[in-house]
Amino acid sequence: MFNIKSASENSIIIYFGDQMSPALIEKISFYCQLLTDKLADIIIDVVPSYTSLLISYRLNLINQQDMCDRVEKYLLSHDIDTVESSSKLIEIPVYYDFEVGLDLEELLSEKQLSLEEFIAIHSSKEYLVYAIGFSPAFAFLGEVDQRIRKNRLPSPRIQIPAGSVGIADNQTAVYPINSSGGWNIIGRSPLDFSLDNPDNLKRFAVGGSIRFVPIDKDKYLALGGIL
Amino acid sequence: MSINVIKSGFLSLVEDYGRFGLAQYGLSQSGVADEHAYCWANHLLDNDFNDAVLEITFGGCELTVLSDISIVVTGADLGFKINDKIQPLWQVINVSSGDNLTWSVAKSGVRAYLAVKGGFQTTEFFNSRSSNLREQIGAKLIDGDLLSYDSTSSEMTHHAMPSHFFPNYEQDLILRLLPTYQFDQFEQHQKDVFFNQDYTISSAYDRTGCRLEGQSIKDSQSKMISEGISYGSVEITTEGFPIILLKDSPTIGGYPKIGTVFSLDLAKLAQRQIGNKVSFELMDIETAQQKRRDFNVFFGIQ
Repeated sequence: MFNIKSASENSIIIYFGDQMSPALIEKISFYCQLLTDKLADIIIDVVPSYTSLLISYRLNLINQQDMCDRVEKYLLSHDIDTVESSSKLIEIPVYYDFEVGLDLEELLSEKQLSLEEFIAIHSSKEYLVYAIGFSPAFAFLGEVDQRIRKNRLPSPRIQIPAGSVGIADNQTAVYPINSSGGWNIIGRSPLDFSLDNPDNLKRFAVGGSIRFVPIDKDKYLALGGIL
Repeated sequence: MSINVIKSGFLSLVEDYGRFGLAQYGLSQSGVADEHAYCWANHLLDNDFNDAVLEITFGGCELTVLSDISIVVTGADLGFKINDKIQPLWQVINVSSGDNLTWSVAKSGVRAYLAVKGGFQTTEFFNSRSSNLREQIGAKLIDGDLLSYDSTSSEMTHHAMPSHFFPNYEQDLILRLLPTYQFDQFEQHQKDVFFNQDYTISSAYDRTGCRLEGQSIKDSQSKMISEGISYGSVEITTEGFPIILLKDSPTIGGYPKIGTVFSLDLAKLAQRQIGNKVSFELMDIETAQQKRRDFNVFFGIQ
């Protein structure tokens, strides 16, 4: 059901399963919130992701064994079925086109899809946030439809423009800032995801839902998109 | 009231105890690389444990004081001088407007810490003054920067660290490792290779992580599902070599981890140079917690 291991002198990691799935990430997100509420005075940080939840805590106040015991008590006494999910759907406009989708042409020819078909497949799905990491506010979204999955590039690009939307295997993501990376770039969002606006840090949360909304070039430019 | 940066040096960063509570959004812990030297600097000035200091890596740094203030310099011996005269480390010094502070080259250790009374009052990002270049939060010093502080205090007495606490940054370092994460999934013969060798610190060593060279742990597990990273986690790459993840590391990672280095040993690692030797030995969690708790109590860390 779950398995707690030490992660450092002041952190533990709880494993809830060994394969990513919508049900599991919902469960992890639920227990993450529950423990954050119940143990607010002793928890320093939480990192939920895919199959696990890392918790660091104030070792001045509690030792590892007691921490494990308290966490276990809450996990056993609270059932996820008793609450409803409160996360809202976030919409992200994306301009899908060869001029911003650096790998789109190759992906379409490999998958034998038209641009319209590809856009319909990528944008028709609601994605779940499975993890946040790599860089701040970089959300790993899943799962990508089988028909448009593609492995990472053999070697990462040095510079991917901020707002670029990529696919790597069964996941998709938006690059919040200019960075290097190996995902297949299929389009770009005109939104500002950078931490120049501090509110952007908390745009995504593990367990949240995202949908991509296709926009044309005029809309992309009108929303502040850069070419 | 401020200090003027004449020469920024190789890599000089404003850091505090770190950035906490936002790891779930992907923000690193960040903060000083050597908590031991950092905590002593603030302690001697009677500062808060979280006050921001300047972390000077390798030297090449020159500053001019623009108003009287009490300072402490701790950590590496980078040839610290005031107005061309060698100065003691690990003790309070009262400096005056116009004084010229310089750090030349690394004689022993890697990182020196300059603390001022009351701490540097640079801009906070997400509740911390720590810079993290990987995250593009804050920036390294550049020539002409001004580091401000509140100079309200009068001259302080010359508090100094007792000499028996003086660290020796030249010793080969034994890193105490807690058996965490995937420790149990490594085979005994792999652990034998890991614990029975002297590793060499490679050139891939910065505030994000420290890659070690040595004999490979053969047949290491391939990448796994990414999970939360703790400060000091020791990842084993698919080639079988350890990477110790440090303050600026990403919050999640996908290599199996053989354990986690005790935090106070990471402070010692922060003063070791490329080419230095390190080895690992096991430590139990209770001992680590007791030692860290003692440290926290002594320095007033909440």
